[in-house]
Amino acid sequence: MTDPMLEVRNLKVAFPCAGGVIRAVEGIDLITKKAECVALVGESGCGKSVTALSIMKLLRTPPSVSRIDKLQLDGRDLARLTDREMERVRGRDMAMIFQDAMTALNPVMTVGKQIDEVYRRHTRLSRKDARQQTVSALELVGVPEASSRANSYPHELSGGMRQRVLIALAFACMPKLIIADEPTTSLDVTIQAQVLDVLKSMQQDHDVSALLITHDLSVVVNMADTVYVMYSGKIVETAAVQGLFLEPRHPYTQGLLASVPRLSDDKQAFVQIPDTVPHPMRKPSGCYFHPRCSRSSIPCPQRMPRLEPLENGRQVRCWHPLHQEREM
Amino acid sequence: MIVSSDSRHSDPLLEMESVSVNFPVKRPHPFGRRRWIQAVTDVTLQVSEGETYGIVGESGCGKSTLANAMIGMVRPTEGTVRFRGDDLFSLKPKAFKDARHDMQMIFQDPFSSLNPRFTVYDIIKEPLYIRGGASEAAMTEKVLELLRLVGLDEEDLHRYPSDFSGGQRQRIGIARAIVLNPRFLVCDEPVSGLDVSVHAQILNLLMEIQKSRNLTYVFISHNLAVVKNICQDMLVMYLGKTMEIGVSNAIFANPLHPYTKALLSAVLDIDVRESHDRILLKGDTPSPIDPPRGCRFWQRCPFAMIGCETIPAELVEVERDHQVACHLVSGFSSEQRAAGLDRLVSPPSGG
Repeated sequence: MTDPMLEVRNLKVAFPCAGGVIRAVEGIDLITKKAECVALVGESGCGKSVTALSIMKLLRTPPSVSRIDKLQLDGRDLARLTDREMERVRGRDMAMIFQDAMTALNPVMTVGKQIDEVYRRHTRLSRKDARQQTVSALELVGVPEASSRANSYPHELSGGMRQRVLIALAFACMPKLIIADEPTTSLDVTIQAQVLDVLKSMQQDHDVSALLITHDLSVVVNMADTVYVMYSGKIVETAAVQGLFLEPRHPYTQGLLASVPRLSDDKQAFVQIPDTVPHPMRKPSGCYFHPRCSRSSIPCPQRMPRLEPLENGRQVRCWHPLHQEREM
Repeated sequence: MIVSSDSRHSDPLLEMESVSVNFPVKRPHPFGRRRWIQAVTDVTLQVSEGETYGIVGESGCGKSTLANAMIGMVRPTEGTVRFRGDDLFSLKPKAFKDARHDMQMIFQDPFSSLNPRFTVYDIIKEPLYIRGGASEAAMTEKVLELLRLVGLDEEDLHRYPSDFSGGQRQRIGIARAIVLNPRFLVCDEPVSGLDVSVHAQILNLLMEIQKSRNLTYVFISHNLAVVKNICQDMLVMYLGKTMEIGVSNAIFANPLHPYTKALLSAVLDIDVRESHDRILLKGDTPSPIDPPRGCRFWQRCPFAMIGCETIPAELVEVERDHQVACHLVSGFSSEQRAAGLDRLVSPPSGG
């Protein structure tokens, strides 16, 4: 249990382009334990999807330039693997659930065939046995009439069903790690609840580690054990889910939490964070959050704070972290 | 933002009476049966002056079609839409145009709703230009005034939409919508395409504008938490039909329709301390082509009864300003009960 399932040390990804360099990810450390669900939270453009793609080694160079000190999956060094070796890892040892099922699935292939492919590639199953496995994988994620649905094309399925197919595809070989990139953002609320339920039970029943990438804090509360909050390419806070939501230490985390409208609220103005996320090519000096921060003072515009450890394994990157008492 | 009770019962600014909108489906062959998508079926509502009216439902339930019918962009198949007491669709072209100036819309996607080849100035000026009768100088002044109102700089005037973030683009969209000083504004999911930290900014901006210009909003959303916070009245739609309608306080205090309850429990709250029981609906929304004969929700309803399949549920008033269309609330007649129509069925799995 002490050995991490996934360990990422000092991941940096940049995209050189005409007007300068976009530093998408600026030195990220990430640890996922066995059977743990870790959430990476941030707004669009903060580098969370690039992080996921880098872990899967799906980013091409060029356009991206990346550096990583350590990338280990269950004790195995992935950083040095060749593309050919990586192909054997993807799908079998770690798999990804993409956001948009319509573009992630092949539109001219039946969904059954697409899942068969995973088995045919990574196991020695015959065509017939592979299909049997496919049908049971679809049943597992709650696709009704799985054996006939396996012969449907993606466009014949509803959004929720397509997302289930993606989940079945990712869990086909029972990988050690699942990376889910915004798995429910394109779905309706009642369907989102169904799909999250499926994802959570699959992850817990089969002791699979998960890295959940999302901007939706309510999804995080319901799914994750540990949370990393990302802002402009850097981790600004990390903590266990309870601690983070009850006592956020970074002003950005606090702002995000406060700005989510709740059913328990009375009629009132919404709490807002001023301004917007900085453009990735024009990041401010010092702490990236300081122009939007109410606690900003002298050191903030000059120097980027370090990610400092706090109690209970929490970490926060702030010159003026919020204290024990809640200042809401 | 709470509207006093007397203004609630003043003459409504906008009224819809038994509005249905059907769209024809292309026939499979020339002699094929003509089929219709029943996007909106028999919706009646009143929006009072100065209030915010919430319309809630999932994608495909007809809420955007309903909004389009409100501002005259779609002609209802049946029923009437009255704006300030006039039947919108029997107005003369000139009067219709004038009415349309007073009703504007803010769209969901700030990326596709702004012309990428127009500058901010062109975008906001366009409605003034089309209405005509204003000099270039007057238009420029008006555009600048609105730009400041929505929180953008004068320097942004000649930049293109691609230079802006989603939140800023939505501000441009808001400026365009209010440039003609409308009375009535339809906001079709105005924040769902935006980042979380920007949601609150845009919602607050909309509320400030409403207060300062005494606007009436119809606010379409699937986020019940937002609706609860800003709307005085609301309508819960499912597959084109009204499930529950009334004062939002009453509905949130006492949700009666199983669909409203399911929606409420599907809103994942971010409170880590209390875990609440969730009603998980089975299956997907059925197709609005040939929808279920009886209650449109019965296939997914956890409390469906035998009679729900065939007998449509009528809206009944359960308390003042709170109506529900559900057999659980209205009950069956004694003959129907004798026929066993009130027995529970376990809903079929899947859609």
